[in-house]
Amino acid sequence: MRNILAIFQREFVAYFLSPVAYVVTFVFLAVNNFGFFYIVGVLNNPEVGSVPPMQILLSSNIFLWIYLPVVAPVLTMKLLAEERRLGTIEVLMTAPVTEAQVVLGKYLASLAFYIVLWIPTLAYVAVLATYGSPDYGEFFAGYLGLITIGAVFLSIGLLASSLTRNQITAVILGLLPIFAIWWLPTILSSVGSLDPAVAKVVRFFDAIGHLQLDFSKGIIDTRRLVLYLSEIVLMLFITVRVVEISKGR
Amino acid sequence: MIQVERLTKYYGDVLAVDDLSFHVEKGEVVAFLGPNGAGKSTTMRMLTCYLAATKGTARIAGFSVVDDPVEVRRHIGYLPETVPLYREMRVTEFLNFRAKLKGVARSDRRKQIAECLELCDLSHMADRIIDTLSKGYRQRVGLAESLINDPEILILDEPTVGLDPNQIRLTRQVVKDLAEKHTVLLSTHILPEVEMVCERFMIIDQGRVVAMDTMDSLAHRSSTIVEVNGPPEQIERRLADIAGVEKVTCKKGENYHRFSLETTGANDVREDVAAALVGAGWTMRELHRQASSLEEVFVEATMKEAEDEDTSKQTLSTDVATTGEGEEQG
Repeated sequence: MRNILAIFQREFVAYFLSPVAYVVTFVFLAVNNFGFFYIVGVLNNPEVGSVPPMQILLSSNIFLWIYLPVVAPVLTMKLLAEERRLGTIEVLMTAPVTEAQVVLGKYLASLAFYIVLWIPTLAYVAVLATYGSPDYGEFFAGYLGLITIGAVFLSIGLLASSLTRNQITAVILGLLPIFAIWWLPTILSSVGSLDPAVAKVVRFFDAIGHLQLDFSKGIIDTRRLVLYLSEIVLMLFITVRVVEISKGR
Repeated sequence: MIQVERLTKYYGDVLAVDDLSFHVEKGEVVAFLGPNGAGKSTTMRMLTCYLAATKGTARIAGFSVVDDPVEVRRHIGYLPETVPLYREMRVTEFLNFRAKLKGVARSDRRKQIAECLELCDLSHMADRIIDTLSKGYRQRVGLAESLINDPEILILDEPTVGLDPNQIRLTRQVVKDLAEKHTVLLSTHILPEVEMVCERFMIIDQGRVVAMDTMDSLAHRSSTIVEVNGPPEQIERRLADIAGVEKVTCKKGENYHRFSLETTGANDVREDVAAALVGAGWTMRELHRQASSLEEVFVEATMKEAEDEDTSKQTLSTDVATTGEGEEQG
């Protein structure tokens, strides 16, 4: 536990020392600002009936759709790839720590930074609360959805980072499976009629669908949470194995 | 302290370490020598549990590198050849992080870091970002890091490479000071360094131990060189009979043959050699005695194999040439 904490602290602090993290944060806030601007616009339009603001944010903000899945592999790209490129993995893995502790420490650091990215957006909630009476349960579920899906993407990004020495390769490698669970279900169901059995399976993995249909309406469906948790555990498990076998190569 | 038993490492089909066995006792400073690519770094990486051995095992401070890697790592300080560091951190930050990882208690950390900085003459660089340090200073940060949890065993892979002469002296002094309490295994290409710092040396080549001795016994060994004109087999037999001569090796020339006599202790056999050769009526044109140096031992131990290989290659090429001619004739 102490080892996980030590690695977590180092990696978390390292985010604030790297320019990439500031660029990510800037674009992230810009995208969310646009989202908020849009929400206020919709809410002020008397012709539109009452729509939950979280639903507007998650279903109509196309920038968030594109940007959210890219953030994760960018945050995780250096975590293992850079260690391998610089050879610091040798020093790290000859300290009395296990591969699992290293992977977990780094993963939690990326997750913590991702959560920090969302914190400034709470200001929008405060603004909405000042001028109206929003449903806080809906916000809670919305944020929970965004953070748990982000957690899945981060675990995929970390696995990608363990597979290469090059950070750009890590991002691209990570984007493939992330797009598969983020975009692919939407694309599949819009191109044509799917076999009902296949459509059912696709719906299980459809992260955008989960956000739009459940989380944004304040529904916390435990099936989604169990799925995400399983995906995270699987990804981290494979990452630990990859780190074990890739030492010294 | 370090027991290596039949350690073997293959990288794919390439054999890097071949059935290597050796022991290092507590408190010893042992030099680990060998030409480039001999398998030194690979062995060190297996001892630090960074690489898994293909076959064989090693015990460090009583723990097996196969079964107890974390326990092994708790007892070693390791400085890899390339000294990889987190460049964006400050020196003390980095040492603090490593101290935490290596399980130094919170209450001791500050003191321990200060001591290591002092020992490696880094106190004035404590707040610098590692990226802005010169190569020599970074090397010292690496050394300080390997000492941070006061490990019983130090494994240093070429700790003085790329340092200026003053820094080399400092590093040697640090290793010497450590030798009182620690067991040190150090690899290097600088042989005078070994003579200054180490008590024992081990030379490996192509993954095998080719020579192993203490510096003391090396200092007591000497050889006598003599060039004689006469029948080489007879001369060799005559020389071998002289008291105090352990081994005679002969390098045949056209008229004069060069003999090298290995002798033990303080035996000076030059008078006996001269008397024997003159008595037999052979002419002699050179006779001198030289102390064995580490360099000689190193070259002798590591060149032999290379020569053997050359000869085998030559034979092979002659064979090919002959077959080629045969085909032309046919």
